[in-house]
Amino acid sequence: MPSSRQSVQSTAEASAPLASLRRSGQLFETERRLNAVLNNASVSIFLMDDRQHCVYMNRAAEKLTGFTLDEVLARDCPLHDVVHHTYPDGRPFPLQDCAIDRAFPENNQERGEEVFVHKSGHFYPVGFTASPIRDDTAKIIGTIIEVRDISEEKAAAERQRLLINELNHRVKNTLATVQSIAAQTFRGKTDAAVRRVFDERMLALSDAHNVLVADNWESASLWSVVERALAPHASAEVDSDRFKLSGPDARLHPKIAVTLSMALHELMTNASKYGALSVPEGRVAVAWSVRHEDAGSGQLELHWQERGGPVVVAPVRTGFGSRLIERQLPMEFDGSAEIVYEPAGVACRLQIPLTELGWHGQETATLQGAP
Amino acid sequence: MSALEGRRVLLVEDESLVAMLAEDMLVDLGCDVTVAMRLDKALAHARNGSFDLAVLDVNLGAQRSYPIADVLFERGVRFLFATGYGFAGLEQAYRTIPVVQKPYRLEQMQDILIHVMTCTMRPRKDAPADAGCGCRPAMSGALRFQAEGFA
Repeated sequence: MPSSRQSVQSTAEASAPLASLRRSGQLFETERRLNAVLNNASVSIFLMDDRQHCVYMNRAAEKLTGFTLDEVLARDCPLHDVVHHTYPDGRPFPLQDCAIDRAFPENNQERGEEVFVHKSGHFYPVGFTASPIRDDTAKIIGTIIEVRDISEEKAAAERQRLLINELNHRVKNTLATVQSIAAQTFRGKTDAAVRRVFDERMLALSDAHNVLVADNWESASLWSVVERALAPHASAEVDSDRFKLSGPDARLHPKIAVTLSMALHELMTNASKYGALSVPEGRVAVAWSVRHEDAGSGQLELHWQERGGPVVVAPVRTGFGSRLIERQLPMEFDGSAEIVYEPAGVACRLQIPLTELGWHGQETATLQGAP
Repeated sequence: MSALEGRRVLLVEDESLVAMLAEDMLVDLGCDVTVAMRLDKALAHARNGSFDLAVLDVNLGAQRSYPIADVLFERGVRFLFATGYGFAGLEQAYRTIPVVQKPYRLEQMQDILIHVMTCTMRPRKDAPADAGCGCRPAMSGALRFQAEGFA
């Protein structure tokens, strides 16, 4: 039975094509899976050869660029010249200036944002990551580029910018409007001195908001808050030694920035009316320290000390300033505040816990989950 | 003598200057006021204190005052919300609670507090929007306007 013997004899030889057949079956399966992954990915993927020509693009990439893979292959030129050839202002964009294509020549991963040109001619912003790919000997043989359309993100960022500008404008305008209404309403009916107190408080509030505007309402610099609060008096002074400020800068939550500004304004006003700043030789020292605790939180200790003024007499009545500082401020921030009317000069000591910055508050998760 | 004379009121308001104004108004109305400016402190007062009424600012910094409202529901303390956004600023479950529109005004505060105190219907959490108290037309013009907007 030659045939049966042959088949036994040929087992070794026959197994070779069988294995290769099995391997090609596995390869086919692998390719099928890879295509399923690539063509269902929402990110656009391009594979570039060593000449920066695109040799593969997935379905998302075809949709993004408007070109099919066949069209790109038929162009037989670097991908850059197909999708990235022109700057939005119309100037030509040469390949050698392109950061995406630099991933290959410069041998490392490049990330960034660029503006591509669609097949139909319109421009669209993209975020990209370009990574070199290597052969078995670590030689770079091409680049893989992932690209995302970031039009939505750009539009959202732009809307946010416009909103913040509008917010800045509205807040400043509203404060100015309140000031004007007060001026019209109380003209001739109120003591000019009372009006001045009101105007100065409005100004202090407005200044506090200027510090916030500088940082998109996310936080304010402690130094700026102190400097701005003292500025109305400091700028009028010839003697620059009148104020001694010492302490590290820190980022303050907007609420702390506004209330602290108002508190310092009240201390200043009191000092210039009755305290150290009411006489030429008086001095004010403002010293503070920030003790950092765990991430994002800490404790601010601020000490206001007047020297060289008239002998201090404790006020008989609790005014706006001391109510704001000694009562409201500790309640608002869970801190403490004390004004001491020492004969040698008014002293104020504030302790304010510094909470996490930003618009998302400190205890939301723990407290709302509490029974 | 004001109908609010001697009433114990919990005021929850997180902005120092605004809290001073609201407190002064309530004191002028004859109320015995307890101020809380932070959620944790307000919750402690709501749980342990004894109050006839409460005024809750909805936005406490990054937090909302709803957990306080829930304690007050439980303890049967009548309250109202204060917000710059009117009823639109309230979560659905609390839409039947009376609202004072900020900025605070003495007459509006007085009207709504008296209403809240004397109304025979007790608002519930999660009540349907039209289950608000029937005496709403008795409230001030601005409030009625908003209430109708969400009927």
